[in-house]
Amino acid sequence: MSPELPSAARSPASLTTEAAFRDWVRRIVTGAAELQAFEAGQLDAVMDPATGSAILLPEAQAALQRSSRLVQSAFDALPGEVSVLDAAGTVVMTNMAWRAFAAAHGGAGLGICEGANFIAACRKVGAAERVRAAAVAAGLRDVLAGARKLFRSEYVCRIPDGHCRFTLTIAGIAQDGARHALVTRENVSERKRARATSGSGRAQGSRITAVARAGASNRLLAALPAKDYQRLLAGLEPVKLTYGEVLYEPGERMRHVYFPSDCVVSLLTVVEGRRVLEVGLVGREGMLGSRLALGFTVSSGRALVQGTGTAVRMKSERFMQEFRRSPALRRALLRFTDALMLQVTYNAACNRFHLVEARLARWLLMTRERTPGNEFRLTHEFLADMLGVRRAGVTTAASALQRQKLIRYQRGSITILDQQGLEVAACSCYRQVRITG
Amino acid sequence: MPRKRTRARAAGAPVTTVVVMRLYVAGTAPNSVKAIANLQAICGRYLKGGYKLEIVDVCEYPRRALADGVLVTPSLAKVSPSPASNVIGNLSDRRSVLAALGLPAGMVE
Repeated sequence: MSPELPSAARSPASLTTEAAFRDWVRRIVTGAAELQAFEAGQLDAVMDPATGSAILLPEAQAALQRSSRLVQSAFDALPGEVSVLDAAGTVVMTNMAWRAFAAAHGGAGLGICEGANFIAACRKVGAAERVRAAAVAAGLRDVLAGARKLFRSEYVCRIPDGHCRFTLTIAGIAQDGARHALVTRENVSERKRARATSGSGRAQGSRITAVARAGASNRLLAALPAKDYQRLLAGLEPVKLTYGEVLYEPGERMRHVYFPSDCVVSLLTVVEGRRVLEVGLVGREGMLGSRLALGFTVSSGRALVQGTGTAVRMKSERFMQEFRRSPALRRALLRFTDALMLQVTYNAACNRFHLVEARLARWLLMTRERTPGNEFRLTHEFLADMLGVRRAGVTTAASALQRQKLIRYQRGSITILDQQGLEVAACSCYRQVRITG
Repeated sequence: MPRKRTRARAAGAPVTTVVVMRLYVAGTAPNSVKAIANLQAICGRYLKGGYKLEIVDVCEYPRRALADGVLVTPSLAKVSPSPASNVIGNLSDRRSVLAALGLPAGMVE
């Protein structure tokens, strides 16, 4: 599949003409059977005893170059953006669409050129993409190590004329014993926009059913009187929120408010444009964008999805109309804002006074009560950002909890084994901010 | 506990011999690709799984070829059962391959 011939297989430089090359072969090859096969055109390569390398015959070289060109042309004809990475994560082959994206956006969105390293590029992204890029790098490492065949992730990056949202798929290829990875990038920005604006009758019907189902799991919405809830339904749309997706950036306008059903969203404060710390966690008990109710249209921090799941969302303008109209919604929102304030207050005190191990236990429990499963996909780097500690601190804390058999920690995922034990290990803040029981 | 000798064993019934072969190729060059396909067809038809085939790419492992005394590719070497033998070329001549593998030429239809 490589477009280049192996360096060991090129003809000796001194043999410029084909006749000279054939003479050289006849001097090397003396056996009758070998010579017969050579004259019949059935050989591909001859070993050069002087250099110890294999020399491809001109016909074989030409055929390999033809097939390389064919592979490259077929690759270029693919409509999506495709690249091939070697076992170290270095880009060894790209197609025309990939190169066009890289040229247009100057390396944004992990659009790197041949010869550059994909894992290194994941480390070099800006603060806004860091968590998503770390997840992609971890997925790529798993694929290259053979731990998984396929990794898929949604990725949003900033490009000069706005944001670009695409799906990255990384598939393992085993070739000659070494693993490679095929990376495809599918731009989904247009599709998302089209889906958001489409609204045929049938789609509308199923949309309302989906909204009703997803909305009912959100406690803030479920607490509303039926009349208010029915009115809100018309303005809500179901969305799937994926791990690593950023809903709000500090200083940016909040276009939608979100009511999570079974996903978890972290509220992060960004310090000096790059360092982040989690200050709050919102799941099915609340909503994102409650700041609108206080009269602000821009977000104060970053809202980052850290547990994939479903939610319903509503346009900010529509939400403000409903907020003014419904006293029940106003009350529900005030209660939630108070609970969130309490959580933020305890987080601040907890970060100052409690040990990392107890904080990690609290954080896992808070995540657990907002998501359906027992297992979370988390990297060291992500947890370090959440808890405001160095990665080494996360390792020590996670190992300590694992030794007590409270959790199982594997690369990139944590499973809670003993909920009650973890509650004992967690700091007292958890009992103050828990939403269940 | 010693295994009981069965009647068939005692009578010296033929034991299937596994043919061990090594095929030296040059990457995906045309004659090498043909040689692999031809050999696999022959093995599938006449050896029915009673064989072991190792494919050595001389572009990747030139030292291995030189150490085994292989100067040209594609080249098939029968390692066992003895006597050792080899066939040079893209293995399109089925008779010579069968002869080198020690199979009766009469098998070819």
